[in-house]
Amino acid sequence: MPLINLPAFAADLLADFERLGTLRVDTPVIQPAEPFLDMAGEDLRRRIFMTESETGKSLCLRPEFTIPVCLRHIETATGTPQRYSYLGEIFRQRREGANEFYQAGIEDLGETDVASADARAIGDAIAILTARLPGKKLNVTLGDQSVFEAVVAACGLPAGWQKRLIHAFGNPAQIDTLLTRLSSPQPVTGLSAEIEALLASGDEATLIAHLDETMEATGYSTNASRSPKEIAARLKEKRALEKTALDGRTLAVLREFLSLNMPLADAPAALFAFAEKSGLTLDGALSRFDARVAALGNAGVDAKTLTYRAAFGRPLDYYTGMVFEIVIEGSPAVLAGGGRFDRLMTLLGAKERIPAVGFALWLDRMEQALARRKGEAAQ
Amino acid sequence: MTITIALPSKGRMKDDASAIFEKAGLKIVAVGNERSYRGRVEGLDDVEIAFLSASEISREIGSGSIDFGVTGEDLIREGLSEADARVEFCARLGFGHADVVVAVPEIWLDVDTMADLGDVAADFRARHGRRLAIATKYWRLTQQFFSAQHGIQLYRIVESLGATEGAPASGSADIIVDITSTGSTLKANHLKILSDGIMLRSEACLVRARKAEHAHDPLVAKIIEAVQRAVA
Repeated sequence: MPLINLPAFAADLLADFERLGTLRVDTPVIQPAEPFLDMAGEDLRRRIFMTESETGKSLCLRPEFTIPVCLRHIETATGTPQRYSYLGEIFRQRREGANEFYQAGIEDLGETDVASADARAIGDAIAILTARLPGKKLNVTLGDQSVFEAVVAACGLPAGWQKRLIHAFGNPAQIDTLLTRLSSPQPVTGLSAEIEALLASGDEATLIAHLDETMEATGYSTNASRSPKEIAARLKEKRALEKTALDGRTLAVLREFLSLNMPLADAPAALFAFAEKSGLTLDGALSRFDARVAALGNAGVDAKTLTYRAAFGRPLDYYTGMVFEIVIEGSPAVLAGGGRFDRLMTLLGAKERIPAVGFALWLDRMEQALARRKGEAAQ
Repeated sequence: MTITIALPSKGRMKDDASAIFEKAGLKIVAVGNERSYRGRVEGLDDVEIAFLSASEISREIGSGSIDFGVTGEDLIREGLSEADARVEFCARLGFGHADVVVAVPEIWLDVDTMADLGDVAADFRARHGRRLAIATKYWRLTQQFFSAQHGIQLYRIVESLGATEGAPASGSADIIVDITSTGSTLKANHLKILSDGIMLRSEACLVRARKAEHAHDPLVAKIIEAVQRAVA
């Protein structure tokens, strides 16, 4: 049975958080399960500890802190900007490692100077890990979904394809499958002669009316799920695109972009050169990227020591921009993971858009790294 | 060592399973009256037959409390995590055919493939204020197929233990994952199977719990071989 004591450095971490001017919050261990499943998807269900209340409400043991901290912020109607810190146990079903372990982190809500907030999150995570794990060489990898979004938009791809690609961003296997599929035409088949005629006529109103009637006749509600209008619009879009395929040049441009991997300090120039060479206009995304690199410099982080990997992202739909993770050189264990999630607060019910960035530290992995170091020293 | 074989306790599955065992030279006789839940194999004193429901068989084989079972592949793969590491599919028995499929309303004329469904799922929340809802009793198979094979994460499962095919029309879910053998129930409910939406082609199988003590047991080898020969 593993011990679940607080790590020895917990008090130092809390002092770090205080020095960084954050507001420490704690959240109940037992949480409503809905928000987690809703945000992260059904796949999470196998990895959390779920139970039901007497009244049939789905509950779970806190699997992470970001969602509870954000929900608390919304409920207490605290003003922004506000930086929260947390330290506590989280619970996940894992094949390897303990099922309950400590996480700590910072969530920075409502800071509108995005570049500085991004830089501060990365800088804080590096500073804390450097202080708690002295003498360890940290590798920081950074990605940015918004650059990829700008690339697919600048390639002039159909809106539906852009959405699919952005949705798959961060999942290399899925991106690859998708690029292969888009490279050959996708004919629309199996439609009845009547529907074919309606599509060919271009008379969308009649097509919608026809779908409406069919749904009524077959006992389907026209507003409980996908509406006749939505179905007709997507069918039309599919028909318009059925002879289109991703051309070789665009495919090469996308693949080249996704293969970019370099020290972050070199990335602004490399992205500029990539845009020039490919004839893409990425100005907005690139200037935001450059601003972040500059802000990192101001925060005292040496961009030469960070790695930019263009394909690095998290396939969760509330991550919108920068993501990063930190490992010790030579080890695969992620000690800190973070990123920008500007979409999460409104998804959770915030009335106005609240930009947000944060990171989480895996305290069990930090402890293991420390134990290894002591082991090495003893030898 | 006594070997326990669990067979379906009623219906066509029971008759078909008994027929195959008889053809394999393992004639099953009930202990006590015809409706008893215990049986034995004629001429093999070390074999016990337990008549259980198909879903119980899948659970018991997972826990290793029985050695062999005859049940649907769908129930094994749904009931057990890492099924192939825990059980061996010794023989496919040629009855109890049923496909586990993804079916959507026929009227979704624009949705023909899992990729189409992925598009719809990605947009669903923005359009409808909630995730795409899937009615099914196959939680595990659905998660594996949607997440691992097709990279679709954004959906919610609505548990459905009966009349699943009625869920889209009644509005309790948008689409379903269910078993079908002829497709006629789906058709009657105006649902269509996606062109790449067959998750599993299931049939009744002879399944063995992977136990170390089976390794050198001639009786275990004999049962597997006899059934394999009977369905060859």
